[in-house]
Amino acid sequence: MKQRLRYLPLSDIEEGMVLGAGLTISVNGVTNFTLPAGHALTESNIRQIALRHGEFVCIAEEDTRSDEAYAADLAITRCRLEQIFSRADLAQPSIAGLYAAVLAYRSL
Amino acid sequence: MSLHLSESEIVARASLLPAFPSIVNEILQKLDDDNATIGALIHLVERDPVIAANVLAMANAVAMAGRTQRDVHDIQVAVSLIGLAKVREIVLGVSLASFARDGRLGNYFWEHSVAVGVAAQELARLARCSVDYALVCGLLHDIGQLFMARCYPLEFQMVRMSMERDATLDLLDAERQHFGLDHCAIGTILASAWRLSPSVVAAIQHHHDMEPPADKLVAVTHVGEALANALDLARHDEARVLNLSASACDLLGIDWSENLNYLFGKIEARARQLCRIFS
Repeated sequence: MKQRLRYLPLSDIEEGMVLGAGLTISVNGVTNFTLPAGHALTESNIRQIALRHGEFVCIAEEDTRSDEAYAADLAITRCRLEQIFSRADLAQPSIAGLYAAVLAYRSL
Repeated sequence: MSLHLSESEIVARASLLPAFPSIVNEILQKLDDDNATIGALIHLVERDPVIAANVLAMANAVAMAGRTQRDVHDIQVAVSLIGLAKVREIVLGVSLASFARDGRLGNYFWEHSVAVGVAAQELARLARCSVDYALVCGLLHDIGQLFMARCYPLEFQMVRMSMERDATLDLLDAERQHFGLDHCAIGTILASAWRLSPSVVAAIQHHHDMEPPADKLVAVTHVGEALANALDLARHDEARVLNLSASACDLLGIDWSENLNYLFGKIEARARQLCRIFS
């Protein structure tokens, strides 16, 4: 089963959502709360995260898109990125690096 | 006809903008004061009913999460529940949101400013410089455009039309043609007149520079703006990445070939959340 990752603010998190990446909350360098990737969030987990001032969570969702639908979404993403970078010089390494990093993130 | 704005004209015209919230300077001064107490921050929060209401609302949300039986009505309790750093963030964000709203700043400008503020904060965490200063720099980086739009709407519109007509025209060049100065220079004059700290003034002045001074706050504002646009955080058709200084990236230690998905995800999620809180 294919999965896709989404990063959501805590206010958008619901019970049953599955962590796409491990969650670690630290205060002054001391870790005081952890949950592993793949963990299904409970109401209690969400309250604990809020109490510890957690602000966002990486969620894994089942990716039900066909290969064709995925390719179409990626084409739309590329098109929008090209518009956003239309006034930038992609020959510059820093601009090219930013473009590639954002494309990789949008392809998750 | 083109304008040739002078510093004195800009300062005089700035009276058309709402009064700059003095609480922003007071918070930043307290950050620089080793002897500042929590009590001083609480006093600042209590002085402004809108800010106090926001701090209490957030504290109550945390209290509800912890199933605390009582409502939080006391700012001191609220600060202990949500933490000093978050309180400072709320105070700075809400006071500048109110300033932007009173200045009739369009939604896009405000959402873009919040996005740049959040991106600058996260880059500041990586580069180990002040996240509070980074937030203020991000929220105020385009303050010169607010001045242009509010005080000279016709010329501001002409800049937009010039950009639409000529895809190769540089934004700052177009602004100089119509105003005699670009929004970075105008923002610098305003920020100096409002007695903002030199590091905030420098970030506003140099946020479009390809060779900015080696100052981390300038760098987080410059790279933060490029990131906010690249990630399309304000979801506006006009979002464009114009340039990205290699020296600013180097100063912050950013390697674009690394996996940056976590950083981008954090910026995107926090920007969405803070837009809701600050609005």
